[in-house]
Amino acid sequence: MTDEFETQLRRALRPVDAPEGFTEKLMGRLPKAEPANPPVVVVALPSSRPAAPALRPTRNFVLPAALAASLVAAVMLGQHMGQLRDQARQQREIAEGREASRELMQALRVTSQKLDMAYQAVTNPPSTSAGEEENPS
Amino acid sequence: MPDSLLTQARAGDADAFAALVRAHQGSVFSIGLRMLNRRDAAEDLAQDVFLQLYRKLGDIESLEHLGFWLRRVASNLAIDWLRRIPYTSTQPLDEEMQVPAQEHPQDPLMDRELARLLNELSPPARAVMLLRYQEDRDLAEIGAMLDMPVNTVKSHIKRSLTTLRARMIGARLVDCEADETKPINREKLP
Repeated sequence: MTDEFETQLRRALRPVDAPEGFTEKLMGRLPKAEPANPPVVVVALPSSRPAAPALRPTRNFVLPAALAASLVAAVMLGQHMGQLRDQARQQREIAEGREASRELMQALRVTSQKLDMAYQAVTNPPSTSAGEEENPS
Repeated sequence: MPDSLLTQARAGDADAFAALVRAHQGSVFSIGLRMLNRRDAAEDLAQDVFLQLYRKLGDIESLEHLGFWLRRVASNLAIDWLRRIPYTSTQPLDEEMQVPAQEHPQDPLMDRELARLLNELSPPARAVMLLRYQEDRDLAEIGAMLDMPVNTVKSHIKRSLTTLRARMIGARLVDCEADETKPINREKLP
């Protein structure tokens, strides 16, 4: 009974054909899909020679080195630009300080002159009575 | 099929690769069709499997390994697709899927019914049954393909056979009842 049923199952599950043009459709898609691991070519060496070390794929170090050099140069340039900016700011602050000092000295000098004039005016007032006596009406 | 075909395909010979595809496309497509129950999905799955094969040709050691690899990838990919898109058991059978069964003169209706009932099994059980009865693989190979212990494969087959047989009997009983009641017109009964 089981064998008969299994035979029937095998017959019912017979493989079916793929749709027409299946292979052509697939082959049309192949160029887009590059083989990830192409076949390895094995070269037989004479048995007397010692086995050569396995070849390793060479890496291209040019690009990483250039990238690293660019990064270092960019960092150094940034530091240098920062130093220049600090120096310029210090010089500007010194110049502004000197200018402020000069203006303060000028203000003190003017104030001192004004005070001298006021002091002179207070200590030596003009004699108005003598003039009145010279011109009697 | 000569082993040199595989070597040529690995070396980049497109014709050799096409010959390999033609030799295995029916098997891969059938696994997809009976797992996914849709012809368009089965074709997509088979295309996907062969594209993967093209990328992995360097890993294929022999023609036997090729057959094993294709069945393994097709089955597992179908189970994976079914986990994501449950588009099998509730959908009707594809019209074209029934054609091959009709070619058998013995009992085409029963063959068709068996193929339909197979879709009611769980995806792993269905894959086991397909690899066993469609691809005619032994239990150890099925276990290796589906990453399943041999005892699990055995129990899947045993349970699936019991279920299928019971449902076949049930389907026949339903048909008999329908045939018996059909000529009776209840409205005209007194």
